[in-house]
Amino acid sequence: MRAPSPVNRISHKLGLACSIAASAGLLSGCMGAMPTPMAALNRQLAMAGTNRAPSLSGRWLAVITGRGGRDQVLLLDVAGNAPVPVPGLNRGDAQPISVGVDASGERLALVRQLEGRTELVVYRRSLMSLQPIPMQPAGVPSQVTMRADGKELAVQVSREGLWQIDLIALP
Amino acid sequence: MGLFSRRSVGPLGPLGAEDRQDPAISGNGRFLASVLEQGGKAMVVLQGQPGGQTVALRHLRGHEPHSSPSLSWNGRYIAALVQQGPERVAILEDRATGKLLRLPLPNGSQPARLSLAPDGQRIAIEVTEGGQSRVQLFDLTGQLEPDLPGGLAVQGGPSAP
Repeated sequence: MRAPSPVNRISHKLGLACSIAASAGLLSGCMGAMPTPMAALNRQLAMAGTNRAPSLSGRWLAVITGRGGRDQVLLLDVAGNAPVPVPGLNRGDAQPISVGVDASGERLALVRQLEGRTELVVYRRSLMSLQPIPMQPAGVPSQVTMRADGKELAVQVSREGLWQIDLIALP
Repeated sequence: MGLFSRRSVGPLGPLGAEDRQDPAISGNGRFLASVLEQGGKAMVVLQGQPGGQTVALRHLRGHEPHSSPSLSWNGRYIAALVQQGPERVAILEDRATGKLLRLPLPNGSQPARLSLAPDGQRIAIEVTEGGQSRVQLFDLTGQLEPDLPGGLAVQGGPSAP
């Protein structure tokens, strides 16, 4: 008899853990089966170096990767299992903080530090253009997520000692 | 600059000023999830848009602190990081059925952020291991029904934050 695969072993443990949790009233109602790691893409990501701040939408995954002391935005085509170029988005003197992508892979929103300032920009891939989005009232952006249809951003902004959330419609 | 129309997400309580972090918006723009700092707890709050009414979540209460919420296209699925005992765990709640999916992570890794694909068919989880961050993707096909554009929004009942 063949030994169970690592995935099956984990699946069995997960099912058991869910049953125990349910009987203890902890995070009860677990679904039965387990998600499958996407091994090929996970290998691609590992090869890119360290990576963080994922944004997944449609067939696109945007992450911030770090290699050789430099962080940059990497856009991956999940279906094609390959990185796609984002010319003009990354700068050697900029530090990316947070990134969001829409479901068409056309628009990316990026919070980055550049020349001592933190700014929010929107990148359009077909145009290779980068547009700054000012914070009004003034504030410092920290996290950004993009609505899947690319029509709106939700931005975490620091103002007067508080974190606030702005919703910004994109034309 | 007149190019962008914008609005602040209004306060949840009568006192006005609140710390709100980690925003996530559903694909259709009908729901906003964020993390509210209140009474020393970081709790995910789900609000309808544009009205801002809060929507009940079934599985998260009692597992604070919460972080990194993420929503599917019509807001049917909400994923987040929560605390269970000494562990940070990634979970996904199906608001249509009330069911919960606990997402497995490699031994010794701590989840830091996550992002759910709008159709609910994949999830990306950032984990830290030995001080290094890495993102891992999981396929949820077969686990969850797709939540596609044009699908019905799950309304849910109102809830106190």
